[in-house]
Amino acid sequence: MTALTLTLRATPARDIDLSGLNPERLAAMDRDAIGTMRLSGGRQVRDFFDIAIGDAQHLVIRNADQQLTYVGAGMRAGTITVEGNCGAYAGQAMRGGKLIITGSAGDFVGGAPPGERQGMRGGTIAIYGNAGDRAGERMRRGLILIGGNAGACCGANMLAGTIFVAGNMGAMPGFALRRGSLLLRRQPQAVPATFQESGEHSLLFLTLLEKQLQREGAAFARFLPFPNKARRYCGDLACGGTGEMLVFQRDSSNSDIRSS
Amino acid sequence: MIVNGVAIDDTFAEAFGMRATRILVTALNLKWAYHAAHSMTGFATSVIGCGCEAGIERELAPDETPDGRPGLSVLLFAVSGKELAKQLERRVGQCVLTSPTSAVFAGLDGEPVNLAKNLRFFGDGFQMSKVIGGKRYWRVPVMDGEFVGEETTGMIKAVGGGNFLVLARGQPEALGACEAAVAAMAKLQGVIMPFPGGIVRSGSKVGSKYKALPASTNDAFCPTLRGAVKSELARDTGAVLEIVIDGLSEIEVRNAMRAGIEAACKIGSAGGVQRISAGNYGGKLGPFHFRLREIMQ
Repeated sequence: MTALTLTLRATPARDIDLSGLNPERLAAMDRDAIGTMRLSGGRQVRDFFDIAIGDAQHLVIRNADQQLTYVGAGMRAGTITVEGNCGAYAGQAMRGGKLIITGSAGDFVGGAPPGERQGMRGGTIAIYGNAGDRAGERMRRGLILIGGNAGACCGANMLAGTIFVAGNMGAMPGFALRRGSLLLRRQPQAVPATFQESGEHSLLFLTLLEKQLQREGAAFARFLPFPNKARRYCGDLACGGTGEMLVFQRDSSNSDIRSS
Repeated sequence: MIVNGVAIDDTFAEAFGMRATRILVTALNLKWAYHAAHSMTGFATSVIGCGCEAGIERELAPDETPDGRPGLSVLLFAVSGKELAKQLERRVGQCVLTSPTSAVFAGLDGEPVNLAKNLRFFGDGFQMSKVIGGKRYWRVPVMDGEFVGEETTGMIKAVGGGNFLVLARGQPEALGACEAAVAAMAKLQGVIMPFPGGIVRSGSKVGSKYKALPASTNDAFCPTLRGAVKSELARDTGAVLEIVIDGLSEIEVRNAMRAGIEAACKIGSAGGVQRISAGNYGGKLGPFHFRLREIMQ
């Protein structure tokens, strides 16, 4: 069955909050109900999108733009594919399912709502492009895959879970990270002083993660391969030091450990 | 019924309901997977004295294991879910966690039973959890790197105590026939033969003249007691050996019994094999009755 597709007709003048557009909510709705669904600010879905009815377990948002915020926020199941970029707060407090963003995402991907102690608590976010600042802030569980660069404070205050970044890291990666793993294909420009290196290690869970991403299909396998060895930095030692930053690259010349 | 000169007794093996689990033990190579698996399935011949019955089911190629390394699948059987959980945790903790390069994964779906859930505390706070594909794994730092274990495995209802007896002219003939039977049965999945080499020489009957003992030697099948007790043995029968089978289901036990009896009968009367019989308690104790002649039809 084809996916339920929302096609953005034109770039909106201001941000649109899409936090209600989740597969589990749309599953019980027909075309009219989806079209008249109220978005924050009083506008309706049909004011911005052309709707093509399909399987609501897979929602596709076409012509997406960075004015679309809170995409997949709070989602628990199903898949949302964003064809293009999206704005801030994508996957905020997500509980499950898959959020695929073929472009770049704004700030606070997988983060926590204001006042909440925990951000994303399950599911997978795959961003083919870049992510803004504070990706995975207060993340509790789940996986964020970033194919491009990550902004500042990626994994800040992270409680658990896994973030993979293929590109460059912004300032202060893993700031105040308590538990969880930052997997970095490239060596960060500066590793915070509160992360201490423990050497290169073969880590079996990377194989488990790699095989799972292969099983989940091309949208996730594109982030592979993971090398079976990584340089481990324990941290953030200012916050217990039971988390980690795993760097796949042996040195700053972009050479992969597996191929060297 | 006579098969290749071997008489198949008109009797049945009486088996019992048990709880079982399967786990997958992997390591850097098969040699070290065997070290871990042999250790954890050691002293697991009978629930009477060992708490559980356990054995290696089969070898696993790297493409069959969750972590892409060679491994072994191991089956454990116990009389209750509580005892199974206790034995599993104790044996994995002492024999797999301790074995170099090892990892352990669930091998069955079913009622969850703890695998690495409590073993993680060996990490003294440095253990890390990873939920991958909906399954939780624990990473426990150890001196050769990390021990990875899946949080739980599955437990199902199973069948324990399937058996048959091989009566032969002498010890070498009985042992040779049983070795052939075990080799044939080892090719099947879902069953283990928990005794040493898959063969048991000390078949038992229920009860004893000594009040403290729940079971004692099966005197009716002891060749040296012929004449002293009501013996089941002919004058020219020199030795009897038994093969005990635990399986994940009734049909798997039945198939294994057939494969084993066929292999023993293939040696035939010319090789000194005389009769195939089975152990039972009159049919009053175990719900599963495996009639030898039905199995061999």
